[in-house]
Order: sequence, then structure tokens, then C-alpha cells
Amino acid sequence: MFKYIFRRTIYMVPILFGVTLLTFTLFHVVGGDPAVLAAGKHATPEQIELIRQSLGLNRPLYVQYFQFLHQIFTLDFGRSWSSRQNIWTMFTQGVGPSLSLTLPAFLIAEVLTISLALLLARWRDSLFDRVTKITCLAMLSLSSLVYILWGQYVLAYKWDIFPISGWDPSWAGRWEFLGLPIVIFVLLSLGSNILFFRTVFLDEIYHDYVRTARAKGLNESGILFKHVLRNAMIPIITRVVQEMPFLILGSLLLESFFGIPGIGGLVVLAIQNADFPVIKAMTFLSAVLYMIFQLISDVLYAVVDPKIQLR
Amino acid sequence: MKEISLSSPLPWQEKSSEQKGRSLWQDALHRLAKDKVAMVSFVVIVFYLILAALSKLGIIFSNFDLVNNEIAYQSPSWEHWLGTDLFGRDVLARAAHGTVTSLTVGFAGTGLSMVIGTVLGALAGYFGGKMDEAIVWFYTTIDTVPYILLVIAFSMVIGSGLNTICLVIGLTFWVNHCRVMRAEFMKHRDREYVQSAVSLGASHLRRIFIHILPNVSHLVLINFSLGVVTAIMSEVMLSYLGLGVEPGVPSWGMMISDAKLELSRQVWWGLAGATGFMFFLVLSLILFNDALRDALDPKLKNK
Amino acid sequence: MNSNPNLIEIENLAVEFKTDEGLVHAAKNISFSIPKGKTVGLVGESGSGKSITSLAIMRLIASPPGKITNGKILFDQKNLLTLPEAEMRKVRGNRISMIFQEPMTSLNPVFTVGDQISETLILHQKLSKKAAWEKSIDLLNQVGIPKPAERIKSYPHEMSGGQRQRVMIAMAIACEPELLIADEPTTALDVTIQKQILELLANLKEKYKMSMLFITHDLGVIGDIADEVVVMYKGNIVEKGPATNIFSKPQHPYTKGLLACRPSLDRNPNRLPVVSDFMSEDGKEKPYDMSQLKQKKTNRVSSDEQNPVVLEIKNLKKYFPLKKGFLGGTQSYVKAVDDVTLKVRRGRTLGLVGESGCGKTTLGRTILRLVEPSEGSILYNGTNITSLDRESMRGMRRKMQIIFQDPYASLNPRMTIGAAIAEPMYIHNIGKNKKERSDIAASLMKKVGLEASMLNRYPHEFSGGQRQRVCIARALAVRPEFIICDESVSALDVSIQAQILNLLFDLQDEFNLTYVFISHDLAVVKFISDDIAVMYNGKVVEYNDAISIYENPQHDYTKKLLSAIPKGIS
Repeated sequence: MFKYIFRRTIYMVPILFGVTLLTFTLFHVVGGDPAVLAAGKHATPEQIELIRQSLGLNRPLYVQYFQFLHQIFTLDFGRSWSSRQNIWTMFTQGVGPSLSLTLPAFLIAEVLTISLALLLARWRDSLFDRVTKITCLAMLSLSSLVYILWGQYVLAYKWDIFPISGWDPSWAGRWEFLGLPIVIFVLLSLGSNILFFRTVFLDEIYHDYVRTARAKGLNESGILFKHVLRNAMIPIITRVVQEMPFLILGSLLLESFFGIPGIGGLVVLAIQNADFPVIKAMTFLSAVLYMIFQLISDVLYAVVDPKIQLR
Repeated sequence: MKEISLSSPLPWQEKSSEQKGRSLWQDALHRLAKDKVAMVSFVVIVFYLILAALSKLGIIFSNFDLVNNEIAYQSPSWEHWLGTDLFGRDVLARAAHGTVTSLTVGFAGTGLSMVIGTVLGALAGYFGGKMDEAIVWFYTTIDTVPYILLVIAFSMVIGSGLNTICLVIGLTFWVNHCRVMRAEFMKHRDREYVQSAVSLGASHLRRIFIHILPNVSHLVLINFSLGVVTAIMSEVMLSYLGLGVEPGVPSWGMMISDAKLELSRQVWWGLAGATGFMFFLVLSLILFNDALRDALDPKLKNK
Repeated sequence: MNSNPNLIEIENLAVEFKTDEGLVHAAKNISFSIPKGKTVGLVGESGSGKSITSLAIMRLIASPPGKITNGKILFDQKNLLTLPEAEMRKVRGNRISMIFQEPMTSLNPVFTVGDQISETLILHQKLSKKAAWEKSIDLLNQVGIPKPAERIKSYPHEMSGGQRQRVMIAMAIACEPELLIADEPTTALDVTIQKQILELLANLKEKYKMSMLFITHDLGVIGDIADEVVVMYKGNIVEKGPATNIFSKPQHPYTKGLLACRPSLDRNPNRLPVVSDFMSEDGKEKPYDMSQLKQKKTNRVSSDEQNPVVLEIKNLKKYFPLKKGFLGGTQSYVKAVDDVTLKVRRGRTLGLVGESGCGKTTLGRTILRLVEPSEGSILYNGTNITSLDRESMRGMRRKMQIIFQDPYASLNPRMTIGAAIAEPMYIHNIGKNKKERSDIAASLMKKVGLEASMLNRYPHEFSGGQRQRVCIARALAVRPEFIICDESVSALDVSIQAQILNLLFDLQDEFNLTYVFISHDLAVVKFISDDIAVMYNGKVVEYNDAISIYENPQHDYTKKLLSAIPKGIS
């Protein structure tokens, strides 16, 4: 097991190298002269030259690349151009608010949609199944922005059930502000989640082992909850674990709309301010997060699927 | 439930010998034609295409850019069915012109990504070895960055505007398709019909283009129609983040973003117009994709 | 109280399926009964409706698309078809149980075999978890799994195919059912394993005084195990009766044809009778005299040294790397072909026979360099083809062709068969233009017994036998000298198999072809081959002329193989 994790970590090295290369190429080679961008619109050529010197942009690319690598491994992503804050500090401070939105919302959404999908699989091809499927497809056809806009307009602005936006750093106070974003998060997950889990369950239902279970005299619910669910755990785990990095990264739109000081809101602000270092750091960090959770999901496979042995 | 193994025909499947050959594509088309949902959604998609073409040519809704500050934020009326926006421009006309933007992004962006994905996937899957390792490394790297951040990073460094959005979507969206193509080419490369071609002396190019590609091309079509939806959604997202089309170009994304301010002034028709236009196009695309999948891959039916 | 000698009586059963092509009557007017303590064999080719009938008894037909439209299934004086679902569930797995063709997919991969056997016991006999587990160990012991107390914790993938089927059987007999339905239980297994499973089923049937319904396409198997036989054809029962009668005095022309078209170990005909010799298209009987079959030409069988050697394989090896080491170095290999030396003379057929995994298919593909050999040489007419470059190899491919097992997989589904047959001619510049190639294709179609008018059709519009004919026509298009037939008739029904074997025979005579015929089926290999090589674990363990191998096997493995062949019919 530890040997497996070690080996998988080794295999991550080339990918990590690829990610550094990708971010570096994007932001240092393709993305124009960082000095011009950092200096702002009204800078004189002398100012730009000064910034170039201070950022080390006059050095050859490979030196800059090693500088970049050095920064990454010391978790020193520099400072934000707009707020002048340390980016790593910004990131660590944003994790808490982001997770307090996404984690409860995610848990509610997963439990709700998996149970609903099981019901749909149990009564497949019934009217209930078909209506739900069409509803899910319709829900998928709307942009997430539309949910947020209407949600905020109707539930907060018109009916005054929730505050329009805001934040209270204390644990007790923040739930008041998190209510609406959580509701919208769950709504946003419904369509694709239900359709996905339904497909997963239906994929299993046509397997031969289900026929065997029927031939044993098990009833439909027993088959579904014991035999099918256990087999469906593999695709379910893949999906759930791969959503995890996004929980930490927060929700771009929800956080910026509702004024939640999480990482998602941070990114949106950085985009609006053309704050390259922040985006660069986020791109890299999200890739690392993704890789870590990928490893976790691989280890979890071995727990649910006896065919997989970690060696 | 499968009663009989696939390797043996059911007597009722044997067709009379007089019948002229019908290819799998023709078969699929017949199945599609019988599917009412598919036909309705297809008609809707064609309607949007016509709408976009006529708007682009200036035959209808040529007033989309007509600024008239005196009639700013007028609610829907007989003159302006969906009201007007901040500059007094007709919302219906702008929404109709937004179709052009969305379809351009959808078709051009996704088209580009399909080309990249198919070529790389075919090379990796067919040749394997070092080529495969390099391509897999490349797309795993890209895939490791969450899609939305990737799009944002690309847009920030390349810039904004309609053409750039197409490029960004083309450069970022190909990974999934590439993975599918690689797996398919790998599978088909070892299939007996390709092995037969090898034993007949067929060259690599012949195997790739004459034999394997036609057998996986239905997946290109399926992934394309799904990609168009993602591309249209991405445009809306990018527009909200300020990485969208040039200011003044009518787009649903811009209209929806503008609604953030408009709603606080009780102006709901801009949002409603863009949402409505987008909803029916995207829904039709999703439904058509669903039907396409059933028609092209009948084995997946009932799932 | 119940003096009825029959355990189950099926009356006028009819099953329909809704398909894209319309309503299909998968089974019509099916009536037969299963006596207590007896085994009824339900035999038929694909599409005969035999599996559907067995699933109907369990009420396991998926609906939609299937539907039982008529009939009664009387079991213990109750009609199973009208029983409430809850009552039916008490019958399934308890009083009637079933085993299936594919033990791998039929077992749930994520539960241990112990869990899966206990489940039935807990469900029907209300045993405690512990008691059920104990009984499961006993059941595994009964079905012949060694060290059952340890193996009970295994997952299905940790067992071999034969063992998995034993687990399925343990599960089925757990509640001591009155009827065991076995749906092609040995079709996916090797012949030596098949023999063991059949013996086990027969023993268990005696021990528990069960009745058994045994479904198969294989008449040999049915002869070994069944007391009574029901023959089905295209959804109908064409004949039923005691097994001895069916085999010795078949009444229906279809049964006669089916019995005759199977290659047999103790006859040496020069061609096989086919069903259409006995039965006309409309089901009428045709007179046919089996004694008109000639013996194989003796000069073919005796080893004649005048013919030149076409193919000579020397010390051929093919190793597949099994596990990659930490830094990419290979640590262990699968020896798929391990030091094989063989010779084939012009105009003769070499049969390569062995069970799954013995390396016969890899050997066939290595000979054509579809798989590159690891070591050794392949001399074709004296040229070592392992050292040829790509261009010369392409020229060589004109002379050497292959016909694969699965006629559905070996034709490009998006190409008309006309294009498929013309393609090799195009590649090798045979025929001046499209027109000429198409004419050649048309004549090849006639040669393999198809109509030239079918050239514009696509593979999916043909039946399996027709497709295999197309593959043969395509192979002939380059006018080869040498053809490898890789399990070329294994996927086909016996009646179709006989036609294709006859065709291969005729073509060999006409074009003086040399064959390497790969198969797991000893009877088929015996029929078609002049020489036979028996393969086991990548090695050729015995190599001799066909008659000697069968009459006087030397190697233990060959003996074991031969004794495992069902002796049901002679």
C-alpha cells in the first residue's frame, strides 16, 4: 500500500513537470510582457524597465523557469499585483470560507442525488423516471449564472428570505449568509448528478450478475441496494473524489455574487484586475490538488473493488 | 437480456437477399428519423441556424445596434417584444444576434477541439509506444488543471474577443475527446477486421483512414454535439468574468452578465430574453445528442 | 398426494419480443414436461428459442422488450406464469434454480463467493449468517473446490473458469431445489473442464434427486447427460423423446441433419452432410443416404514426401512481457509460443489443437507476422520471413492469408462487402480497374456460394455463415497459396460449420491450397487435417498424422483431451 502510494507519487513527477511547463509557457512566454502588464497602462518605458529588472525578466528563459520552480517549491508565489498581499497567505485564508460553502452543499447534493437516482433506477421507464430525466435535461440547459441571478433576485431581493450578500467571519454568524448560496449550489448539482448516477445504476442493471441475483429469488430493492450499489461505487467514487479539488477552490460565481471571501471570489477579483500572479498560482495549485485527489481515488478503488490490488 | 450471443444471427435478423445494401449510417438515420424527440430538436436547431444566418446577413433584426437613449430600459411592448436595454436597443434583436455569437463559438471552437483531439488520439492509440506516452503525458498535464481555470488562464494570456474565445475553447476542450479517440483506436487496431487488413497488406494510412476512422467517426459526431453545449456555456461564463466577446458584440453571455445590474432596477427582460433563447437551443442540442447516441450506437439503448 | 410423474409441465408457451424490426415470436407453442428425477436436454442452434424457454420458466425474461403471451407452466399444481411476484421469488433459487453460460459475469465481482452462496441460504432457509457460512463451506466441498474453508473467502476473479462454474452450481443447489436449469453451463469452458462439470452435475442430480433441464447447442454433451431430449428450431419444438430414440432413430429431418453434420471422431468422410441435405427450405424431408459419403482420399492421409515443404517453423518463440519493472525493465514473461518447430507440405492441412491459452492463436498470428516473433525462424518456400522488411513482407502477404474466428469482427462494418473483397486486389494491383476487380469479386462470391448481387450490401446484413464465406472470398482475392484458419468455424452453429468446412475442403482441392487449421474442437480438426500438432502451454507436445494421433495418442495430455470429448453420439 505505502509502496503503491510511493510509486504513484513518482509517476506524478512528469505530470507535475508538465504543469509547471504549461503555466510557465502560458504566463511567461505566450502572455506578453509581464512587466508591461504589471506596470499598468500609464507607465513610462523607464518604469517598465525597472520592473523588468526587479522581476528578473531580462534573464534567459531557462533561468526564469528555474526561478519559477524554486518559487513553487518554497510555496512562495509572490505577491498579488493588485492587493500586494502574499498569494500563499491569500490562498490559505480563502480555504476556510470556500469549504464552509462547498462542503455542506456538496454533501447534501450527493446524498440527495444518489438516493434519487436509485429510486429512478428502481422504477426505470416509469412516468416518474421520464419526467425527472426531462427535468434534469432542462435544468442542464440553463447557465449557472441564471440560477444565481434569479435566486438572488427572487429569494433574497423580492421575498427577503435570505440576505442579498455579505459575510460574517465568525462560525455562528456565517450560516445566515451561506443559506442561499448552498441552496443554489445544490440546485446547480441536481441535473448533471442525477443523470450521471442514474446512468451508472442502469449500466449495472443489465449485467449478468443481476440476472443471477434475480434467479436466487432476491427482490428488486435488495438487488439494487446490495448488488448494484456496491458495484456502482467505483464510478461514484471517481466522480465524488474528482469534485473534491473544486470544493477547496470554491465556487467562482457563487462566492463573487454573495461576497464570500473564499478562493473562488479571489480568482474572479484577480481576473477583473488582470492579476496574473494570482491566476498563475491558482492554476498550479489546483493542478496539484487535482493530482492529490486522483491518488486518493485510486487508493479508494482498492477498497471497493477487490479486483484491484495496490502493489 | 441477451438471449443469444452476438456472434450468431437471429433467424429473423437475416434479411432477404433482394434488399440493396444499407450502411450503418443509413440505418442510424432511419432510427433517428423515427425518433420524434430527435426530429423536433433537430428542427429547433435548424431554426436557430436559419435565424443566425438571416441575422448575420442583416435580413432580419438589423436594428440590433440601433442606440436610442430615450427609450432605455423599456419594458416589453408591441414595438419591442422583449423591451429595450440600457442604450435603448431592442432586446429581441440582440438576443437573435446572440445566436450568431453562440453558434460561432460552439461550432468553430468545438470543431477545432475535435480536430486536435481526433488527430492526437488517433496517433496515440494507433501507434502506441513512445508517441502514445508523449501524447498521454501532454493531455494528462492539460487535464490536471481544472477546465474552468484553464480556460481563464488561456483567455487572460491570449486576450478576449470572439475569435480568441473560439481558439481558447478549441485549445482546451479537446482532452476528453482525445482520450476517447485513443481508447477507440487502440481497441480497433487489434480488432480482427484491421488485423485482416494487415494480413492483406494494407498500409498504416489505409488502416487509419479507410478502416478505423469511419468506425469511430460516430463518436466524433456525438462528442461534437456535446461540445457545442459546453462551448456555449463557457462563452456565458467568460463574458461574466470579463473575458468574453468585444464590447458591443451581441452575446447571450453579455446580456446575462448585464442582468446583474438590471435586476436591481426591476429590469428582467434582458435576462429573460437571453435565457430563453439559450435554453431552447441548448436543450435541443442535449436532446439531439441523446438521440444521436441511441441511433448511432444501438447497443447502448435502454440505458 | 401428488402422483404426477412430472415435476413441471409446460403447455403452449409463447414468447414475443418487440424489436426495431417488429414483433418477433421467439418461442411458439412450446409444450413439454420434465419428469421427476430426470434430465431433459433442450437442444437447438442459436435463435431456436431454447434459452428464452428456460428463462420463461424462471420468469426472468426482461419486459420490455420480451413478453410471455400465452401458455401455462405447471409446477406443483400451480401455474408459475400467474403466480404473484412475491410468491415467484420464493420459488426462484429455492425450488427452481439456474446456472448460466458465463460464470465470470454471472457472479457479482465485488462479493466473496461465500457471501454469494450464503445469501441464498439466508434468504430462503432463514439461516443465521454463521450457519449459512458453515453450510456454504460444505457446499463448496460438495462441488469439488479444494480447501473450501479458505477458498470461500475468494472473489470470483481469483478463481478459474471451471471453479467459478462450480461456485455457481453450489449456489444453485444450496436450497436443494427440485429443478436445476442449466443454460449452456459448459459452453465457455475447455473440453477437459467440461467433462468434470458434467460429471459433477450428474452426481449432484442423483444425490439430491433433482430434475434437470439442460440447455445446449452441443449434441455430444446432451447425449452424455440427458434422459430425454427436446429439439428446438426457430422457436418451435420439432422433436421430443427419450435420448436413445432421438439419437438412434431421429424422426424429424432437422434432427437428422443436425446429428449427421457434426464431424465425428470415428468416421473419415470426405465431406460432411448438411441440414439442407435432409430438409428442404419449407421444412419438408428430403431422402438422403449417409452411405453415399466417400472416405477421405487415402493418399491425402498417408504422409507423402513428394510435395514440397511450404512452411517450416524452426524454434519459434513468442514471449509477452508480463510485468514491467520499476524502471521499465521487464521482469517476467508469458511464454505464449515456446520453442515450436513444425513443417507443412503443399496441399496439406496442419491442424493445431489445444485448449484456451495454449498459444495456438498466437502461433498462427506470429507465422503471418501479425505479431512479431521473439526468436526463431519462419521459412516460407525457403525464405525466412522474419527478416523481411516491410515492403517485401507486403509482397509476401499476397501468398499467405488468414481467416479469423469471428466473422462479425473481421469485416469492416462500414465497407460494402464488394469493397472488402476488392480491397486486397487494389493493394496488390490485381485487376486493371474497378470494373475488373468487381468482376473478379463477383466470381469469387459465386465460388464461395454467395450471389454476386449481394456485393453492394454491408456486413451487418449477412448471417454469420455468410460472413465467413465473405471472409474466405476476400482471402482468395489475392490468389494465396497458404491460408491460416484461426478457429474459423468455432463461432458458427454446427449446421453452418459443416457447410464452411465443406467449402474449405472444396477450395483446397480446386486451388491446391495449404492450410493451417487452428481449433479447440478435436472432431473438427480431425475432419479437416492431414497432420495434427497438439499444443499445451506454448509447446507442441505431440505432432503426427491425424489418424495416428487419434488412434494411438502418445502424450498424456493428448490422451486426456481425447477422453474428455463427449461420447454422446457415435
